[in-house]
Amino acid sequence: MTKKVRISTIFGIVLLGIVLFLMNLFVGSVTIPFNDILDVLLKESDDSKLITIILNYRMPQAVTAMLAGAGLAVSGLLMQTLFRNPLADPSMLGISSGASLGVGIVILLTGAISGTAVSSFGWWSTIGVSLAAFTGAVAVLFLILAFNSRTKNMATLIIIGLMIAYVASSITDILKFFSQKEDIHAFVIWGMGSFSAVGTSKLGILSVSVLIGLIASVFLSKNLNVLLLGEMYAENLGLNIKRNSLIIILISGYLTAIVTAYCGPIAFVGLAVPHITRFLFKSSDHRLLIPMTMLIGMNLTLFCNVIARMPGFDGNLPINAVTAFIGAPVVIAVILKGNKVVR
Amino acid sequence: MEILKLISLTIGYGDNTISSDINVSLNEGDMVALIGPNGAGKSTLFKTLFGNIKPISGKIYFNGMDLSEISHMERAKMLSVVLTTRPDDMFLKVFDVVAAGRYPYVGMFGKLSGNDERIIEESLDIIGIKELKNRLFNTLSDGERQKVMIAKALAQNTPIIFLDEPSAFLDYPSKIELFSILKTLAVEKKKTIIFSSHDLELLLRYTDNLWVMAKNKHFVAGKCHDLLEDDTIKNYFSINDVENDWLKK
Repeated sequence: MTKKVRISTIFGIVLLGIVLFLMNLFVGSVTIPFNDILDVLLKESDDSKLITIILNYRMPQAVTAMLAGAGLAVSGLLMQTLFRNPLADPSMLGISSGASLGVGIVILLTGAISGTAVSSFGWWSTIGVSLAAFTGAVAVLFLILAFNSRTKNMATLIIIGLMIAYVASSITDILKFFSQKEDIHAFVIWGMGSFSAVGTSKLGILSVSVLIGLIASVFLSKNLNVLLLGEMYAENLGLNIKRNSLIIILISGYLTAIVTAYCGPIAFVGLAVPHITRFLFKSSDHRLLIPMTMLIGMNLTLFCNVIARMPGFDGNLPINAVTAFIGAPVVIAVILKGNKVVR
Repeated sequence: MEILKLISLTIGYGDNTISSDINVSLNEGDMVALIGPNGAGKSTLFKTLFGNIKPISGKIYFNGMDLSEISHMERAKMLSVVLTTRPDDMFLKVFDVVAAGRYPYVGMFGKLSGNDERIIEESLDIIGIKELKNRLFNTLSDGERQKVMIAKALAQNTPIIFLDEPSAFLDYPSKIELFSILKTLAVEKKKTIIFSSHDLELLLRYTDNLWVMAKNKHFVAGKCHDLLEDDTIKNYFSINDVENDWLKK
């Protein structure tokens, strides 16, 4: 890929992102003329209802989608390079399952103990869910880290991650068995994934949290590049394998935890975007891949959100139902092409 | 100049001692072949020397510096390796692989300086694979990949180069080409080269320095001629008298 083609590709992705962002403001259950949206954006509108819909509802949702897309995509890229496994993403390490278990404990167990469904607590439940997802994800993360210090073998770690995921989801299933109907419903809704739960109040904290992780990942590009040669070569080239793995796992897990807490477990974005980026740019240079997975991740989630918000779905279509349609074909293509990122 | 010195080195994994009391040293420009049957501990010795596993006891000195006291980065500037495993990334170019050799020298974001670029070009040139520069690593033949990895080791600019079974999987002409390249590096670039190999007859044409290892036997270093005369090779490889006599010629 020549430099010229590369620059125009990047330009195209950014342009597409802007279009998708505007579509996110435009598409929804209430039809708003495009000129009115521009008026709101340029602060020339005095229709308070329109301003509320766009600035307090659609805009935060679009920004949340972008943050989630960038965060999950980078997180997936880090995992795929670290584990040299094209099908690796944070959900494989059990981090997403840990988040689900945390949420399950809050939503399902409190109902079983106190006899009141947490889902009826309204605003407090959202905060509780977020904290629980984060706690669950980080707990699994530290469990993984503990194993990571005992084994140098990445395959072992992935199997441990899968086992943790099984245990976590079976605990969640047991909790469901003892729970009330309303709570199970609330839990299932969270599990479908949505960008609408964040809203203006929590958008600031989500933005800062995700940006910290994204910026940190940029500093990993040199180490990720040398990891492509294989662990032993990387070690001989002066890379401290254990410390480097720890940092990559921490950043990747942190991004997943943050996004999962606020948006639910969103599948396939972390898996598909790195592959799309690699094939689009025909490159394995992380100095290019990291910023580009962010951009393409944003585009993908913005696109999925537009689909989920199409008139007729009334914004009720779960994001996971949409991401699977894009992610699953990518996974199949990867397997059929025998695309080994690195062995 | 003495570049590598092993003092009563015992290697292995935890309680499992593979080889003990290794005492040997190498000078600048030495080319030595590490030979021994499979399972003799050749790979374990390599892994210990390049710091992948810790020695059970004893000391390793590079250029007078104790291996256990130098940082990962300092070590990366002392010795480079060519392993039996290969990078297996779809979009990794030959240039990228060789450029990775500059990792210990470049800044935080891995930007190559003009000097780095020059060293990479030079390394490709010495190995004779300049025309492969923009090819995808994965599309190369085994022999070509081997050369790229040696070019990487050269770009790393270390006084010592280790090669783990570099002649395995190569056809006969490629083996000859490989050993000539190694010989050139030792003679002209004053690199200290240690490689393991099973191609005994062939490698003896290029070096007569041998390190011999076998399971439950002592590590022996010496000249090929002496090791054949005192029947070390015969005993270590459990070969018969006919073959032994043939090798002596």
